[in-house]
Amino acid sequence: MPGEVVKRARYKTSVKDSGVAGVLKMTEDKFVFMPNDPTSSARLDVEFRFIKGHKFSKGGSNKPALLNLTQDSEKGGGYIFEFENHPDREVCREFVGKALAKFSEASKAGSEQSAVKLFDEQLSTIEMERRIKLLREDSELQKLHKQFVLSGVLTEAEFWATRKKLLDGNTSRTSKQRVGFKSAMISDLKPLTDGRTNRVTFNLTPEIIHQIFAEKPAVHQAFLNFVPNKMTEKDFWNKYCRAEYLHCTRNTVAAAAEAAEDEELAVFLKHDDILASEARRKIRRVDPTLDMEADQGDDYMHLPDHGIFRDGSKEIIDPQYEQYRRTLSQDLNRHAAVVLEGRPIDVELEDTRTVAEALAKSKRVEAANEKSDGSVTQERLERISRMTEIEDLQAPRDLPFAALCIKDPRDYFDSQQANALKTLGDTLAGSKQIKCSLSTQEAYGSLRGFISEIKSVGLSDPIVKPDIALKVLNGLTQNISSTKFHLGKNPQESVLDRLPIITKEELLHHWTSIQELLRHFWSSYPITTTYLYAKASRLKDAMSQIYPKLQEIKESVQSDFRHQVSLLVQPMLQALDAAFAHYDADQQKRSARSGERPNGFV
Amino acid sequence: MAIGRSAVMAPVPSKLYSDDVSLLMVLLDTNPFFWSTASIPFSKFLSHVLAFLNSILLINQFNQVVVIATGCNSCNFIFDSSSVPANPNLENGRMPALCSNLLQKLEEFVTGDEKLSKEVLAAGIGSSLLSGSLSMALCYIQRVFRTGPLHPQPRILCLQGSPDGPEQYVAVMNAIFSAQRSMVPIDSCVLGAQHSAFLQQASYITGGVYLKPQQLDGLFQYLSTVFATDLHSRRFLQLPKPAGVDFRASCFCHKNTIDMGYICSVCLSIFCKHHKKCSTCGRKRQSSLEG
Amino acid sequence: MPQVKIIAKNFMDMVASLPAMKLDALYHNTFICEAILRSLPPLAKKYVLQMLYIDVPVTAKAMEEWVLADGFSKHRVAIDRLIQLRVFTETSDRKKETSYRLNPTFQTNLQKHLIYGGVLPREPMPSNITVRLPSLDDLEAYALVQWECFLLQLINSTQTEKLTNFSSSLMKVFQRGLLTQREKEAPRLTESGFQFLLMDTNAQLWYIMREYISNSEERGVDPADLISFLLELSFHVTGEAYNINTLTEFQRNTIKDLADLGLVKLQQGRKESWFIPTKLATNLSMSLSDTSSRKQGFVVVETNFRLYAYSSSKLHCEILRLFSRVEYQLPNLIVGAITKESLYNAFENGITAEQIISFLQQNAHPRVAERTPSVPENVTDQIRLWETDLNRVEMMPSHLYDEFPSRDVFDAACDYAREYGGLLWEDSKKMRLVVKAEIHLHMREYLRRPK
Repeated sequence: MPGEVVKRARYKTSVKDSGVAGVLKMTEDKFVFMPNDPTSSARLDVEFRFIKGHKFSKGGSNKPALLNLTQDSEKGGGYIFEFENHPDREVCREFVGKALAKFSEASKAGSEQSAVKLFDEQLSTIEMERRIKLLREDSELQKLHKQFVLSGVLTEAEFWATRKKLLDGNTSRTSKQRVGFKSAMISDLKPLTDGRTNRVTFNLTPEIIHQIFAEKPAVHQAFLNFVPNKMTEKDFWNKYCRAEYLHCTRNTVAAAAEAAEDEELAVFLKHDDILASEARRKIRRVDPTLDMEADQGDDYMHLPDHGIFRDGSKEIIDPQYEQYRRTLSQDLNRHAAVVLEGRPIDVELEDTRTVAEALAKSKRVEAANEKSDGSVTQERLERISRMTEIEDLQAPRDLPFAALCIKDPRDYFDSQQANALKTLGDTLAGSKQIKCSLSTQEAYGSLRGFISEIKSVGLSDPIVKPDIALKVLNGLTQNISSTKFHLGKNPQESVLDRLPIITKEELLHHWTSIQELLRHFWSSYPITTTYLYAKASRLKDAMSQIYPKLQEIKESVQSDFRHQVSLLVQPMLQALDAAFAHYDADQQKRSARSGERPNGFV
Repeated sequence: MAIGRSAVMAPVPSKLYSDDVSLLMVLLDTNPFFWSTASIPFSKFLSHVLAFLNSILLINQFNQVVVIATGCNSCNFIFDSSSVPANPNLENGRMPALCSNLLQKLEEFVTGDEKLSKEVLAAGIGSSLLSGSLSMALCYIQRVFRTGPLHPQPRILCLQGSPDGPEQYVAVMNAIFSAQRSMVPIDSCVLGAQHSAFLQQASYITGGVYLKPQQLDGLFQYLSTVFATDLHSRRFLQLPKPAGVDFRASCFCHKNTIDMGYICSVCLSIFCKHHKKCSTCGRKRQSSLEG
Repeated sequence: MPQVKIIAKNFMDMVASLPAMKLDALYHNTFICEAILRSLPPLAKKYVLQMLYIDVPVTAKAMEEWVLADGFSKHRVAIDRLIQLRVFTETSDRKKETSYRLNPTFQTNLQKHLIYGGVLPREPMPSNITVRLPSLDDLEAYALVQWECFLLQLINSTQTEKLTNFSSSLMKVFQRGLLTQREKEAPRLTESGFQFLLMDTNAQLWYIMREYISNSEERGVDPADLISFLLELSFHVTGEAYNINTLTEFQRNTIKDLADLGLVKLQQGRKESWFIPTKLATNLSMSLSDTSSRKQGFVVVETNFRLYAYSSSKLHCEILRLFSRVEYQLPNLIVGAITKESLYNAFENGITAEQIISFLQQNAHPRVAERTPSVPENVTDQIRLWETDLNRVEMMPSHLYDEFPSRDVFDAACDYAREYGGLLWEDSKKMRLVVKAEIHLHMREYLRRPK
């Protein structure tokens, strides 16, 4: 689709209107109408996303060529343009059609767009974009928004009023430093042998693949060339691993022999030509602001004979096979270069193909930038000057502190679990609650006795018996591994993650909805206006709809989880009950009062 | 500009620390009522703790250990490794110098604490002044922070046995939040029969470790395996994590632990009953509910 | 401090490279256990502590359970270090499962240390026998004087009268890397030599000690014994007197060398003789990791390029003489001027302007150190300018190409050379270009290539 269309047209507010003559210019996302008379107020600048549809007049030679861009299907208002001839109109109509199609697709992905627009026409575009962005980034928020705002329980303004913080703080949160690659070498990609068979297994993760692509342009290039036309991705990596294996066995003769037979394999085994050509340019582009972490614990320099997995033994150089040999230092240098470059792309590391393509794209961009090297240098200098602080221009350094915040609201569920544990523990402890029958004097006396005992006897030797020490250590280790086992690899996971995933999501969803509703419900008290009254009853209705759903969840889960789920659901129900009770009490008071004063509001 | 030579040449003591230099603030529960019922005798407990402190000082010469006794009626510093130079003359070969030093101070503290006690026979064990010792530890840490950029990394270890005192709720929470703000983790090792909700929250909020050892005669092993881990190493190690945290609050009016209560919408004070007027800030009518 | 490039090997590496038998024997000494423990990476220290009371091997798998994904490389380093120092011994059972256990000697020694506290390496002599014991201040002054004498001799062996008893061959060992000696010329300080002088005392001491230990075998001394003695020495109490008769033969020989360095002071009584460790000795094990402490500065530089150094040290005078013209010396003051000639002298010796400036800044007298900049800007700028003055003409081997057959070939050749970063000069009118010598081969190949 062409980037823009410019046509002469008359802008009319209605079909009968004679209209203003001018120029209509359409670009991909908006259209602009410039009247010929610069003093005219009929200037337009409207984005396509506000346009709901378009109508046009039938093509007849005597009829005017009209195009109506409707703003809102209900209101029927819109922008009507009369073109000089039908072909002009056709061009514009087609353009508009495509532009609108594009936007309706986009807005289908986030129906929030139209929703935002629906209620707050007066919002600035920046504000709106920010909201849309928030909704897009936070699926939970989007769900809530859909559930309550689109269904009319809450208005757009009400919804956002409680989230001012989110809207404000969002912009300043971009990080200063770029994230680099891990400094671990991919040579750590060690083959795993199972000992019994001759099979050798390599473990490739998307992260590793990303790194391989970045470090070995030849492999990257080969991937783009071969996959999927010439071979499958699996074959490709098999071949790659085969080459790696040959390298790590340091069998240069075998490598040369195999390479002679298999040209694809040869790609991996020979020196990387792309690398060589790139190397010179690279040196100039090292970004000094990259964040690289290393400390004493990473120190392999002082560990002779350790940490070098590949070329620990002496190498015999045979010039004939020179090109099939790779030294560790070459790899190290290449790795260092890639780490210094930083992570070139920020794509989700899921699909290898996308990673490869994104990387290739960023390479091309780089190459293009290289032509205008001045701007790159300029940019780098700017970044350096941003990062390096000029000491005497800095504000006095305050002590670092962490902002207080409740990180993840779902921690709440952990507490519920603990409460259950606690009550359990309390009953246990209650049975053996030892009444301290000693008098103050006796108690202090015995404490002093203990102190003088240790003073005279000294520390017990050994402090711990080895068997007990071992028992404790094993217990702790078991605890750690069982946490890992129960909660997955992520130590941040909670009780919820033990539940079936559907139940978990449902619970979380209901919980966030209840939270949202309760917040609005309580904030509408005391009821002083009819608006608040309506809002409260609207919220109450919405809440009473959730109530039975919670019961459903409780009953639907399997028996082994039922207890846990009911523990989690219980406080939600309690909170809802409290809200209902308050509502009813308030209602009664109100009706009693309105009985006295029949003319009172509501 | 006449400056004597000896002054000119005197080397300033080194302030460059490597990554793992720690300042360990140990809060030692000395509630006599608890110790008279505890499953591990106080002397045995001290033996484990003293060996642990010794080992902390052993692994890095720049490590610093400060011990605060948490009594029923008072709290006080009973040991500070920075102010007690390890004078080997005091070592009698029977016990490290730090131990005899600490025990001496501890004994004095216990005597002082007793004098402050009112002769009232409490029904239960009673609580110790955790809020007080936490605040003292934080003050000390703040002072260390202000000595310059190269201070040791501080952390607090609570060795607590007495049950929580709900009346200390506000003070303890304030201490916890202030620790969180200055990024000081609070580790808790609970020695009593029950879990401590205060310390669960403290460790949870500040990113410390909460642990209730099952085998108290192996206390040293718990201490050296879990609580000896310096803050630098914690970034690379998985430490024990409790199954859940008791987040329940105490109400401001009766100091009861409550599941659900009323919160003043202005000052966020918590009450177990509905009041017409907030007793903390004076605002009329609170209506919010917390779960 | 300027980057210490000359320290490539850590002291602990020397310990680790000892044969297993000797290393194990070292651990019978509690002080060595303590010093080794302190020198370990943080994670390794923690592993030692948690294994302290475990008397059976713990599987590697169990230990790895604790490690987060991020910490794996650190875990490896820690374990490798422990195994290398033989603090951990590695065993693998029939199922090829690796387990570690703590070196039993090491373990018992640490256990004892925790419970009974440290014991002194040897009893100090009772004060009724020793007489004229120096005060701590005197002792410190003595140590510094002694150390400076040694340094002075080290850097300026021709000029000074013989102050220490080191054999000239041993002195040569120390000077290796710090001085260069061309034929018939006075030895000159190398760049690393200058850096060495700028290091703090502890770092310098360790550098010398490393050289001393690595040379020990040639002198017929077992490095393990030497290491153990040095570490033990560092656990003595500063200022106390210790009977020399408690030392072995080799230790007695060594202690004489150490006295020359200022690590101990030797005194002779009526019957007995004794040694008194100074702060230099007791700091040895403290400064095992390459941390450096800062000395209080003593130099004031004025905007008129005059330089006042509040020091009576000959060593300081020598250092200043490297880049300034020393005009006169008062008992505690050296006055000099930074001149173009003096700086050229320094530049010729391979000292850079940055090194000089950072030396002046780091040793700025406390009164001026508070100001920013501590060294006047006009002085630092001028020092830099004088340095760049010297670099106005740069010699570079190169090749000239001319008589190109066509403009296209010439342009292509220019582009090619530019791409290699080797184009030095081009004259497009006369079609001549000069390229760096190192790409001449590429260039030739390129030009010969058929188009």
